[in-house]
Amino acid sequence: MGEIVRYKRDVWGEEVILGVSWDLLWVVAVSILVLLAAHAIIMAALANKKIDKPSGDGARVVRHEAVDRWFHWVMAGSILVLIATGVAPIVGLRFAWLELHWISGVLLTFITLFHIVRSLFWQDFKSMILSPKDFGEPFDSSLMPGKYTFEQKGMHWAVTVVVLAVIVTGLLMFLQIDSPFWERTNSMPENQLGLVFLLHGLSTLALVALASTHIYFAIRPEKLFYTRSMFKGWISEDEMKANHNPELWVPKQAD
Amino acid sequence: MVATSHDVMPDIELYQPTDEANALSLANTLGKDGWLVGGGQDTYGWLKDRNKTPAAMIELKQIDSWKGIKETPTGIEIGAVTTLTEIANSTLVKGKFEILSKAASIVASPQIRNVGTLGGNLVQDARCWYYRRGLDCYRAGGNICYADSPEGLNREHAIFGASRCVAVSPSDTAPALVALDATMVVSSNAGERLIPAEEFFVGPAIDIVNMTALKEGEILTAVRIPNDWANAEFYWEKVADRNVWDFALVSIAAVMKVSNGQIQDSRFACGAVECTPRRLTSVENALQGQQRSEGLAEEVSGLASAGAEPLNYNHFKLPLIENLVKRAVRG
Repeated sequence: MGEIVRYKRDVWGEEVILGVSWDLLWVVAVSILVLLAAHAIIMAALANKKIDKPSGDGARVVRHEAVDRWFHWVMAGSILVLIATGVAPIVGLRFAWLELHWISGVLLTFITLFHIVRSLFWQDFKSMILSPKDFGEPFDSSLMPGKYTFEQKGMHWAVTVVVLAVIVTGLLMFLQIDSPFWERTNSMPENQLGLVFLLHGLSTLALVALASTHIYFAIRPEKLFYTRSMFKGWISEDEMKANHNPELWVPKQAD
Repeated sequence: MVATSHDVMPDIELYQPTDEANALSLANTLGKDGWLVGGGQDTYGWLKDRNKTPAAMIELKQIDSWKGIKETPTGIEIGAVTTLTEIANSTLVKGKFEILSKAASIVASPQIRNVGTLGGNLVQDARCWYYRRGLDCYRAGGNICYADSPEGLNREHAIFGASRCVAVSPSDTAPALVALDATMVVSSNAGERLIPAEEFFVGPAIDIVNMTALKEGEILTAVRIPNDWANAEFYWEKVADRNVWDFALVSIAAVMKVSNGQIQDSRFACGAVECTPRRLTSVENALQGQQRSEGLAEEVSGLASAGAEPLNYNHFKLPLIENLVKRAVRG
């Protein structure tokens, strides 16, 4: 396996960063596949020991408001389009990907800004904060989480960091191409441009790993009620009590 | 890597297959490491400058079945390793598709036309000097376009369809073949595929490092020109800084079916304004059914430059393309 960073000579003959080595894409893909397959096998082996599965029937509580579900799916769509359009030319697929890519990027930027504002002023921001005691949750089954589990908070913050990195570097790259909003100046120094490409590439790889992991957990049988709530907005009280601490999360009743 | 001309060829394997199957097998086996050579006029500069470093060359000129010009029931077929001089002088080509003969006769210089092939002229790489100099620009797999930068020299570059890279299609025969609605015959170990000339050339939005639809292991083996436009009215003109041994600043290939002064149908294609030969469909549509006249020429010429996005140093291409359209319509 080759390098992590690719280098080139700039116009003055100096060695500068060109970007990430796309060999890493295959490393990430294979690693994620192996890890998720291992998780699936272990969970399948443990599955027999599980007994009660909470019922989805009965009274329901609100887990995600409609606006937040919309945000989630628009974000998911834009990230999947960004990954597909960004990765396709690397794996040799030929199509006009760039416009789709930046349009999805702009969409992701705006909905992320929307989410930041909404989460700060209209949502229960504290429910997503990771505190030291959350780290004991995976090892102690008596510790029930509030609205979000340790894993969900971890995924959220990892995605936050990676998406912000993709957005910031992506916007800097966007300035390097002509768009309906401006004509490129193409004047960023090559060493800085290389660094931007490198960070965009690394955050893309991280996003591929996180998106794959997120999708995997979303379709795991024991997590399907969370996925359902991202479509329908509710989970049952039974599911809530089996997975969450009602003292830490007091949701509204669903209609 | 920045170019250093050694003026000698690097140490490189040379394969000279004499039959089609062998050539296709070599192209398939060597993949990216095998550099296809027709007349070599686009090849030797790259290799001597060490800006392209394939492990081997596959010379195609020994393959007789890919040479020559023949008449078919539906038109003519020209082998991809037929020289440009043969095409320029061919009575068959002159008799039916004079526009191609004219285009071939103005490529580079007589010496180059004597060895240069139709296939080589069509698949030659971009002539942007930043790219040819060996700089790691977008087209070379890098992350910047030097030609479209504040100090970039871009007099010869694109006014249409640039996407990061602003290089243009340098081929003189390509616009003529697009205007004639030719079909490219592309062969590989997997068989043969036919690609309309217009789709054969690929812009940077779709593929920034390749200028044609050729995939690894594929070889352009022939060009078929249908009789649809045989003996139509043709107009070909190439504007360059020199009359000999130069690339076009703008070229135009126009084919028209005219009856009693009325333009029944037409196809216009321009070279050196975009990364691919540019069809002027808006001009074609405006001409349809119109009486050929000075006024009409004046009227439609502006359509040719509509939507152009000139760079710092190539605004002159706008009146140039308009005037070439005028001259083509006037005839």
